[in-house]
Amino acid sequence: MDAAALQAFLEASVRLGAPLALAALGETISERAGVINIGLEGSIIGGALGGALGALLTGSPGAGVLAGAAAGTAIAGVFALFAIGLNADQIIVGTAATLGGLGITGVVYQSVFGATGTALTLPTLPALPLPGLSALPAVGPALFSQAWTTYLAYLLAPALWYYLFRTRWGLELRAVGEEPGAADAAGIRVRRTRVLAVLGAGFLAGIAGAHLALAHAGTFAEGMSAGRGFIAIAVVVLGRWNPLLVLLASLFFGAASALQFELQAVFANVPYQLLLAFPYLLTLAALAGWIGRSRAPAALARPWPPRSGE
Amino acid sequence: MARPAVEMRSVSRRFGPIEALADASLSAYPGEVHALLGENGAGKTTLMRVLCGMLRPDGGEVLVEDRRLPPGGTRAAAAAGIGMVHQHFTLLPSLTVAENVALGTREGSGLRLALDRVHARLAELERVTGLPVDAGAPVAGLSVGAKQRVEILKALYRDPRVLVLDEPTTVLGPQEVDWLFGVLRSLVAGGRTVLLIGHKLDEILRVADRVTVLRRGRTVLEAARQAVDAPGLARAMIGRETTPAGRSAQAVGGAAGERVARLEVVGVRGEDGRMAVREVNLEVRRGEIVGIGGVEGNGQRELALVLSGRLRPSSGTADCPTTVSLIPQDRSAGGLVPGFDLAENTALAFHDDDAHRRGPLIDWAAMRRTAQEIVTGFDVRVPGWRATARSLSGGNRQKLLVGRELARAPDLLVAENPMRGLDIAAAAFLRDKLVELKRGNPSVAEVGGAGGRPAHAPPGIVLFSTDLDEVLDLADRVFVLVRGRLIPVPEEERNPAGMGRLMLGSAGA
Repeated sequence: MDAAALQAFLEASVRLGAPLALAALGETISERAGVINIGLEGSIIGGALGGALGALLTGSPGAGVLAGAAAGTAIAGVFALFAIGLNADQIIVGTAATLGGLGITGVVYQSVFGATGTALTLPTLPALPLPGLSALPAVGPALFSQAWTTYLAYLLAPALWYYLFRTRWGLELRAVGEEPGAADAAGIRVRRTRVLAVLGAGFLAGIAGAHLALAHAGTFAEGMSAGRGFIAIAVVVLGRWNPLLVLLASLFFGAASALQFELQAVFANVPYQLLLAFPYLLTLAALAGWIGRSRAPAALARPWPPRSGE
Repeated sequence: MARPAVEMRSVSRRFGPIEALADASLSAYPGEVHALLGENGAGKTTLMRVLCGMLRPDGGEVLVEDRRLPPGGTRAAAAAGIGMVHQHFTLLPSLTVAENVALGTREGSGLRLALDRVHARLAELERVTGLPVDAGAPVAGLSVGAKQRVEILKALYRDPRVLVLDEPTTVLGPQEVDWLFGVLRSLVAGGRTVLLIGHKLDEILRVADRVTVLRRGRTVLEAARQAVDAPGLARAMIGRETTPAGRSAQAVGGAAGERVARLEVVGVRGEDGRMAVREVNLEVRRGEIVGIGGVEGNGQRELALVLSGRLRPSSGTADCPTTVSLIPQDRSAGGLVPGFDLAENTALAFHDDDAHRRGPLIDWAAMRRTAQEIVTGFDVRVPGWRATARSLSGGNRQKLLVGRELARAPDLLVAENPMRGLDIAAAAFLRDKLVELKRGNPSVAEVGGAGGRPAHAPPGIVLFSTDLDEVLDLADRVFVLVRGRLIPVPEEERNPAGMGRLMLGSAGA
């Protein structure tokens, strides 16, 4: 691979990895609080449509990102209402949030733009080359000439790590996810902590969706989240519920996806569907080979207060 | 008398069809150790959970220093100065001691975890109470006794006016109990109130100033220590005369028969990678009770699993019979399936039994008959015939399990703390059953033998217990288990103090 190809590969890795990282970092917080939100996909697609509409209405892609974050938070709010407020099963409510998010965005999109078939053109988030850093050979343009939402992912990883492992709030959040009974006995508001964590995860998933529409594709298409919400959940496991490792795992998955495109070019006679599966197989292998010793938060997916009596 | 530190008036609380508290009242005063007594299921823990705001009562009120406590909020209770040491640990194993203590305190701002301050205050508490603790150690690696100390320190850290302890002595050795009582006395000397839940009367009477007795969710007695004695309290707890559960029937002695199990230099590696059981040699014969005392977490679990053939030793040889009954320590995890009804839970032990099947099919009529015999024979109180194990109280669940395991006519019976959680009458009953079983009394061996099973030779019995009195009372041969080593107790040390010394002293032997 020559220098230009390497740079293109790295750039694609980061471009594909950044939205995953945003969504997965949010899910990390949610799961650390004991809530598995498989409705993440719904928040991402909601964020994508919200981002598209916000950017079109205001003409500002920045305002679009905020609108996307709001849409992602709203869908997570519906999830929180049922899964935490009403203590319904997290898996079922999460599935509903995903399917509902995909359906509603489709309906809204068609009623606003009609089923024209012509792709929407959106104002896009410009790349912001960071002075100095972006001039580094090969990695410079790939890592440091990106939209600001990508830098947000870089900054969030250490910030969330500090929050989880070095602050009192982080300690309380982890306690809620490990042993809600003990947390309650210590006077921590279990449900409130969980709701806030889920809303935060929805906020970040919304930004991830807006990033897809405004920095990545420059358009909105129905179902454009393309399973990223589920992949983000796998990335959280791969990153062992640790924000720093989750960022690395996201970039690893982005690199696997980017490599898959390269492989399509090299092996033109191999059915491309097989190559499309490559990043998933790699993730499975990584999960199986590496994850052995890690452990999910003990109270993950366990409702609080417990459903049946004592 | 001064105004009470805590006053609970006519508190009631139901769990579905079960009335856990009907009319429970309690007044505890500053400067006293107030004991809360009652049989298993009498509502002691429920009442204390109401006090700590973990449960919302259906009726009644709670006053702390004459001020009404809003129901069902742990924060309000903590703000009013109530701290609780729970029976089941509420520690997070993945966190360190200091992090567990810091949890839920207002130490530092939200953005900073002032662990240095926690360490400093813990060191000070360690000095005042004489409680040794390694603040930086992860809780997962601590012994059960050390975890208990952390629970107590965690409660003391918040400087409570009222400290509630739920059965704190069950995981402590005799010397540690003395030490704990010393700490409690010094706390009340400073004007605090200690509420102590217990079930061992002699222990409670040693430390309490006043007692409240609950029976089936109602307060039936409140009195000063001087006004009561052990038999009177026992009567209040169970509501009638007790059959003296003392050492009337000579438990010890009798002819031991053929050998049923032999362990030779058995070692077991525990889940954490350390050796949980080391170089254990043991022979068990029919018709004898081998008693193994010791503080929880010293390898009892692993040794019991090896004896019952459920765990292969990492080293050495274990020669055990095929029919082994196990009464495990954690009765919610081993033995009964919470969602199964009585007959289904019975079937777990008898599905292979010829008297309980028709060809490949389970004979449910026979299974229900056997379940019925266990329920009557062991006085299991069930809300209805289709009741699931989950719907039974802890004590009744245990009676069902013990009854089923004794009914299997095993060659070897392994029991871990079988009396724990049983009320006085049930414990006395079970004790007699064990002695009968050892003597080969057919009335026990045939419970459940609905198909006219022939009288069976008596099994060998291995009794693990943290209650040294129980071991001394029942066992023909006595051992203590200390850090995985099995130490025989010589004749002259066959008393609680002697066993306590062996438990403390021979750690490295």
